[in-house]
Amino acid sequence: MFKKILIANRGEIAIRVMRTLKEMGIKSVAVYSEADRSCLHVREADEAVCIGPAIAKESYLNISAIISAAKVTGSEAIHPGYGFLSENPVFSAACAENGIVFIGPSPKAIEMLGHKSSARKIAVKGGIPVTPGTRDCVTKDFLKEAEQIGFPIMIKAAAGGGGKGIRIVREKGQLDHEFHMASSEARSAFNNGDVYFEKYIENPRHVEVQFARDSKGAAVAFPERDCSIQRRHQKLVEESPSPAVSQKLRAKLEEAAISLADTADYVGVGTVEFLMDREKNFYFMEVNTRLQVEHPVTETITRTDLVREQILIAAGEKLSLSRARASAFDGHAIEYRINAEDFSKNFAPSVGRIEEWIAPGGPGIRLDTHMYQGYKLPIYYDSMLAKLIVWGSDRAAAIARSRRALSEFKVSGISTTINLHKMIVESPEFQAGTVDTGFMERLLK
Amino acid sequence: MDVKTLSRITKWMESTDLEEITWKNGGEKISLKVNNSPESHSKFSSTIEPVASPSIGIFRFARPGKAHNLKEGMAVKKGAELGVVEVAKDFRPVLSPISGCLKIISVEDGKIVEYGQPLFFIEPR
Repeated sequence: MFKKILIANRGEIAIRVMRTLKEMGIKSVAVYSEADRSCLHVREADEAVCIGPAIAKESYLNISAIISAAKVTGSEAIHPGYGFLSENPVFSAACAENGIVFIGPSPKAIEMLGHKSSARKIAVKGGIPVTPGTRDCVTKDFLKEAEQIGFPIMIKAAAGGGGKGIRIVREKGQLDHEFHMASSEARSAFNNGDVYFEKYIENPRHVEVQFARDSKGAAVAFPERDCSIQRRHQKLVEESPSPAVSQKLRAKLEEAAISLADTADYVGVGTVEFLMDREKNFYFMEVNTRLQVEHPVTETITRTDLVREQILIAAGEKLSLSRARASAFDGHAIEYRINAEDFSKNFAPSVGRIEEWIAPGGPGIRLDTHMYQGYKLPIYYDSMLAKLIVWGSDRAAAIARSRRALSEFKVSGISTTINLHKMIVESPEFQAGTVDTGFMERLLK
Repeated sequence: MDVKTLSRITKWMESTDLEEITWKNGGEKISLKVNNSPESHSKFSSTIEPVASPSIGIFRFARPGKAHNLKEGMAVKKGAELGVVEVAKDFRPVLSPISGCLKIISVEDGKIVEYGQPLFFIEPR
């Protein structure tokens, strides 16, 4: 087992990883930028090194500085957390070249699953349903191709990404016009007019499955997480299990995740994301080859430590749990992301000093955060302050406890999304468990 | 821009890490600088200037195979190479930011240095 691990990240996730390291008796090394001298992850680590200026490109995204920090501190492995370099195959390869273990999948797996089209090919090979569409670019027969998929459809630019250049066509009559518009838009934006069609799933649920697979090929999958409460593709609330998934469907989702991991010969912990329509058909969306922000809900209901499993796998050891053990769960968990944002002002980021920080506690509460009273938020990084994870013996109990925990949570000095979460918890739609990805738009209207 | 808006921006800047902001609108351009450093409790002031490490890595007074003649008290010119920081097989030069007298050498050859760590102190001339 490793003796010392460097964490190439900051804030709450760096602290989350360190907690497991401490429990495993492994020394931790923190890296930090000049803007993060007073950040809690620097204090919690056994050692800490300054790797660059505030701007992430020259610190937390600076591959040579991080590799150098690992070498000079004698770290044997690097945990990338989420974001920053966690899904960067160049970084993962640079670790290997320098004899440092990257705690995550191989550069090849990151690359293969990181590209939407190659990930989709693997999904198809693994027998996982994908959204119907013309995977290749459409031809002159585009009307026929659209009819085969069935309206509504999405027109997407082949060279596009991040939701850019997407058009939704609801009926046949609009297709000709929209097709030419999309194509000319794509030509001017990406210098490539190729487009493809995909079935448009209106207000789906976002359901994802956590899986883990070790170097011996043993794979496990955990109960699904439901992350349908999103604003502009940013998840706000996540829960597990999903109120919309039956035990039978759960088994199918877990089977799909394991099949995908096996097909890609994936070694590590990962998540496969699905879109689920009203008829409970699920379609492959993408794979995240890293630990996710919302991993604590899974840990809470399955009583596992996913970071520990990541480290075991990276050290070449066996997973510590069986398939049956990973799928078994107890009760219900909900995570609320507390961001430094003023939701009454269109979610404008809020900066300043934390004047007061009174955190909720008591039974069934977990709070992952790097906040403390007097901490001055740097403006350079993301706005997430804390993750409040609430466990209850069932969903209703978890909601009742959430209401209690959110009322205990008092922060002043900056604006937060705590009151937004109170609104979510009180909404009949959330309480009924019938939300979809259009929920936030309806709530804020 | 009116004084009221200016003072509001300045006040807001003081609550952030921002040190400088430039605002342009047509031909109008306004630059604001805020002194965010905490109040000093002593009257001590010094003109001596630290030379910060450009990177995390291992400090060397000279590149491999080269000798150096750095000594405390000697004169250095602005832009002179005072040493290098070895980072992932790459050498980042440590350059003197000013001309002056090399007052203090606060680093040893082969030592691990962090980004921003003061390696030398130079008195301007």
